[in-house]
Amino acid sequence: MNIVVTDVTFRYPNGVQALSGVNLAIAGGEAVAVIGENGAGKTTLARHLNGLLRPQQGRVRIGDWDTREHTVAQLAHRVGYVFQNPDDQLFERTVRRELAFGPRNLGRDEAAIEAAVAQALARLDLEAVADSHPYDLSPAQRRLVALAAVLAMETPIVVLDEPTTGQDAAGTALLGRVIADLKAAGRTVITISHDIDFVAEHFPRLIVMAAGRILADGPTEWVLAQTGLLAQAQVDPPQLVRLAVALGLPGVPTTVDAFLDLWVRTRQRDGAEWPGGV
Amino acid sequence: MALSLYLPRARGLHRLHPLTKLWLALFLFICGLALPGVLGAYAAFVALVVPLALWGAVLRPLLVAAGRVVLPFAVSLVLVQGLFWPRGTPLFGWGPLSFKLEGLLFAVRSTGRILMVVSSFLLFALTTRPDALALTLAQRGVPKSLTYILVATLQIIPRFQARAATILAAQQSRGLEIHGNLRRRVRALLPLIAPLVLGSLVDIEERAIALESRGFSRQGPKTSLLVLPDTRGQALARRLLAVASLAVVVMRLWVG
Amino acid sequence: MITIEHLTYTYPATSRPALQDLSLHIPAGQFCAIVGANGAGKSTLCYALTGFVPHFYRGRMEGRLQVAGHDIAVTPPSALVGLVGLVFANPFNQITGACYTVREEVAFGLENLGVPPAAMEQRIAQALALTGLTDLADRSPFALSGGQQQRLALAAVLAMQPRVLVLDEPTSQLDPVGTREVFAILAALAAQQDTTVVLVSHALEWVATHADRVIVLMAGRLVADGPPTEVLTRPELESWGVGTTRYTQAARRAQAQGLVPPGRPLPVTLSQAVAFWS
Repeated sequence: MNIVVTDVTFRYPNGVQALSGVNLAIAGGEAVAVIGENGAGKTTLARHLNGLLRPQQGRVRIGDWDTREHTVAQLAHRVGYVFQNPDDQLFERTVRRELAFGPRNLGRDEAAIEAAVAQALARLDLEAVADSHPYDLSPAQRRLVALAAVLAMETPIVVLDEPTTGQDAAGTALLGRVIADLKAAGRTVITISHDIDFVAEHFPRLIVMAAGRILADGPTEWVLAQTGLLAQAQVDPPQLVRLAVALGLPGVPTTVDAFLDLWVRTRQRDGAEWPGGV
Repeated sequence: MALSLYLPRARGLHRLHPLTKLWLALFLFICGLALPGVLGAYAAFVALVVPLALWGAVLRPLLVAAGRVVLPFAVSLVLVQGLFWPRGTPLFGWGPLSFKLEGLLFAVRSTGRILMVVSSFLLFALTTRPDALALTLAQRGVPKSLTYILVATLQIIPRFQARAATILAAQQSRGLEIHGNLRRRVRALLPLIAPLVLGSLVDIEERAIALESRGFSRQGPKTSLLVLPDTRGQALARRLLAVASLAVVVMRLWVG
Repeated sequence: MITIEHLTYTYPATSRPALQDLSLHIPAGQFCAIVGANGAGKSTLCYALTGFVPHFYRGRMEGRLQVAGHDIAVTPPSALVGLVGLVFANPFNQITGACYTVREEVAFGLENLGVPPAAMEQRIAQALALTGLTDLADRSPFALSGGQQQRLALAAVLAMQPRVLVLDEPTSQLDPVGTREVFAILAALAAQQDTTVVLVSHALEWVATHADRVIVLMAGRLVADGPPTEVLTRPELESWGVGTTRYTQAARRAQAQGLVPPGRPLPVTLSQAVAFWS
């Protein structure tokens, strides 16, 4: 299911110009991260994708639907949006019932709902707390519950708003696996995130926003190589990219393995003495 | 972003001590209710409220806010009392319905009273910052936990409203349909209200801890950065206002 | 300054203790970082240092905890005001709501301590200068960004001149700009060395640069304690649920694959990594 954003301009009632002439096309199955400082328009853009905001000029199409012609609840069939604060969503007595809320609203039958809930519980390691009250869980776990609740809706497109906030190493690794699963299942994943290391590792396409405009949109390595642009958008490069730059390595490594590859290739190219591996 | 009516001004009525303004408001309130005649309240409005509002440079906001509250009352009073006053002198009308003189006079007098009640409150609220009022109360022995509630509620309610809007957006994004028949709307209430309440409990606990660690419930003498200047003239004026209020009440009871 | 002896604490209506047999001594002026997975007991320790455990949360406490000469078991939080300061993750929830300007917000604690107005003015000015909020002194606390609000929380606490400052994930809800601002203030505090600082954070690179000491908690127990570079490169970190920086990960894998001479100490920060790879 494609997403096409055409010439979208949006201004908030208080006069803040949040988006100016934004154009964007995301094909089904892509994994895209939107980065930029606060106030750049990332959340505003994301909210246009499920109809929470309607463009004042321009158009947003989700598949063959124009967002202006559908309610948010209708668009929820196609776009699952995970909000940043889980406490804005959670209200059921148990985690299980919470996960069933979305699919039930979408009109799925009970058997399908049960299957979707079971799968979401398994994916996010929440089986042990399936019958607990969400508010008895820690804030980080509540975030995972909110994510599971949207995953259970099984929408072709998933939007994640700052998913790694407050997560520890295990939680972040779990999120990485969830994103990989979604990619493997052919779902479109869009994330807004400041966690540049996480984004660089899991998202092959990066969109950089600043002052309501898209500054750059392309493959992650290509975008991260544009240091001037990143500085303009107030984005710090990922750790490994910074290291590569500091060592003078010609490349943009987004994973540890990519860094090691780059190191080895550069040493070989430069004819370094230490051959590596005996 | 706070919910108060307060409008900052550098001079004038604003610089009076909150207690003085409170007594002024009370005096105006009593005048509004106790002054005789159909137009007594209006006379007080023109003679007392308007000059004070001018002094505080808040006349226009006061008229606008008062108008918003009083006009609906005025319209319904005129219609109801005017049309349905029993055994009154008919003034004009058509068919079985007619406006009665006594009813209209009653409506006019009642509107005047409502105008004075609302204006006295508005005059106070437009010229007094809530935390100045809270400090005044605290200095007179009201427990800080109560004065805190007064001020914090005003500041935090807009945030509450913003959160309610976010919850609405979040639940709609999960397919909750809010448009449609009454039954659907009622069923939508729990997913909208429960997160607001439960999430607020979490926030309240954290805020309580923050307040506690800044000494909120600490015993012992407390000082204040905010200084409320008071003068003997004002203290005298407050006493005079108290006496005047009493006099108005007595006069009203005596005259009947 | 802080002495903990065999501290065990269990929240009410739970069976597993949140802190188990914890013993620790933090001398005055030290900058001590606490790391660990979510649920390891880090927040509980922060609350114990400020008296909320056990006085606010109730529950069962065994062992001894002394902070700034006070025995926590018999000292409620109100008696620790001005001695121990607490800053936690959510910036908005630390705004009292009772104050209409930043200046008054900072004064709030001083008023409760009964500090005379002349001294108050001076302390407020100092705290605002330290946190870079002098230009915002007359703004409403609700009109600030998240990062600014967190700096305000810090200013309000620092104005009370506590001997011990406890920070529970102060940047986890901030964007990179806000995170940088808060850590700049903490770096200045670390350099001064007259306040004892206990910082819970997942920002490992920053911790490695500025902290004197790192403690790892797992399931309520203390499992590691030492200088940052030593603790944050230990191989058990993953089993303890603590992450490592990409620099450490790349270096460890390089050593395992024989790409670099063995025996070099693993890096945690960028500058250490540059040294490692050169």
